[in-house]
This record gives sequence, C-alpha cells and structure tokens, in this order.
Amino acid sequence: MGTLIVIDQPPYGTWAGREALDMAFSLAAFDQPVALLFTGAGVNWLRKSQETTGIGQKSVEKNLSAALIFGVEALYADATACARYGLVPDNMVTGVAMAESSAEVMRQHSHTAFAG
Amino acid sequence: MATISLQNYTLVITGAPYSSQAPQTALSFARAAIAAGHTVDRVFLYGEGVHLASSLSAPPSDEPHWADQWSRFLSENAISGVACIASALRRGLTNDSEQKRYELPANNIREPFIIAGLGEWVEGTMASSRVLYFHGGD
Repeated sequence: MGTLIVIDQPPYGTWAGREALDMAFSLAAFDQPVALLFTGAGVNWLRKSQETTGIGQKSVEKNLSAALIFGVEALYADATACARYGLVPDNMVTGVAMAESSAEVMRQHSHTAFAG
Repeated sequence: MATISLQNYTLVITGAPYSSQAPQTALSFARAAIAAGHTVDRVFLYGEGVHLASSLSAPPSDEPHWADQWSRFLSENAISGVACIASALRRGLTNDSEQKRYELPANNIREPFIIAGLGEWVEGTMASSRVLYFHGGD
C-alpha cells in the first residue's frame, strides 16, 4: 500500500531526482505512506561520500539521510542496477534495502510516481 | 459495449511544452476523458511542466499554443490548474505575491493557473481515483 516514488535519474545534471525526493517528503509531511525506489542511474544517489564542490551543487546525501527521519518508510535499491554501477553495502549510505525485483516492490504499492 | 466505471483523475504534467509532448498528450487525454463522462479533479504542473503556465509564451501563429489551449480548457471545464511553487520559482514562473516577496520585476502566471505547494498534489492523490503522470521522458 501507499505511494512508491521512483528515482531513475542520476543525482546531478537534472533536478528531476531532487524534485522526486520533495514529492516523497511532501507525502510524509501529510502522513501518507511513502517509500523510495532507486533504479537505473538513480542508484548513484545512494553512493557514500559524494564530493560535489567541483560542480557547485549541494550533495544530495544530506537530503537523503533525512528521508527516514521525516517519515519515508523505506529506501529500496534495485539490486541489478547497483551491481551495474558497482554499488555494494560498503560504499552505500546506510538504511537501504536491496530489491531483487523492482516489479515486486511496485506491486506492493498502490500508486507509483516518477518525477520526470 | 461493456460499462466502465467513471473515474476522477488528477493529471500531473512534468514535461515542458515544445521540449516534450507531455502537455499535448495530457490535453488529448483530458478532453477524451471528459467526453467519456469522467471527471478531472485537478491538473498539477511539476518540474519542467510549470512552463505550461507561463503567460509570456508566444509561439508563431501557425503553431499550436499549448499554454493558451490548456488555460481555455481548464476555464471551460472549471478544473483547477496548479503549478508547484518550488518548481515554478526555480524556473522563472511567478505570481503577484511571490513577485513582491522576492522583489522580482514582473510576474507571469497565466490564468486560471495558480501557484501552490506540493500539498495540492498530495491532496489530488487522496481525492482522485486515478493519478496519471505525463513526463518529458528521456
């Protein structure tokens, strides 16, 4: 049940992922059940110790670490996408659940949304 | 013909006019839905989609004017059109009160669109039986 917000865009370059995260925070603020699924290039959101001074943007890591505190119920990462981008628990932020099947995660939610 | 249950839709547009097909596809969908007896609760513009609410777009006269077509459609059917305030202000779309707040030289929201928060989208997800997203895609 609840809404699954899917982030399939890398963290920098477009604002689509940030705006997707805002959607999740907004649902949580209204006490609506919401979880996030990172897939495709979007799994790079979950990389630990992102260094962004070179591009003059804030790291998304801090925003993301607030998700569970603000009431987002779960952070899922598509396992195949993580393998493709070399992400393993050691180089990922904490609190992420690996999803062997994104389709199954989507099936567990009544509403799925992408930011763009 | 099989009977279909009537739905109440919230439409979310995240693709900009002229860079994507999203506003056009959403308008075709909305017209067809209403013609078939469904209702559209609201249209929410998010991300790049906020450009659809600009009163300053002026395409050549022999091209479709998506902002104009959408605003007429909303007015004729008394559907509320909302542009996300954070998306809008980032992209240079503003109303009278935000113009004053940020001391901007102009405002450019096209009637009947209004600027409001993501809470309007949340409310749409709760009030509608279906929420459809129209993305720019890539």
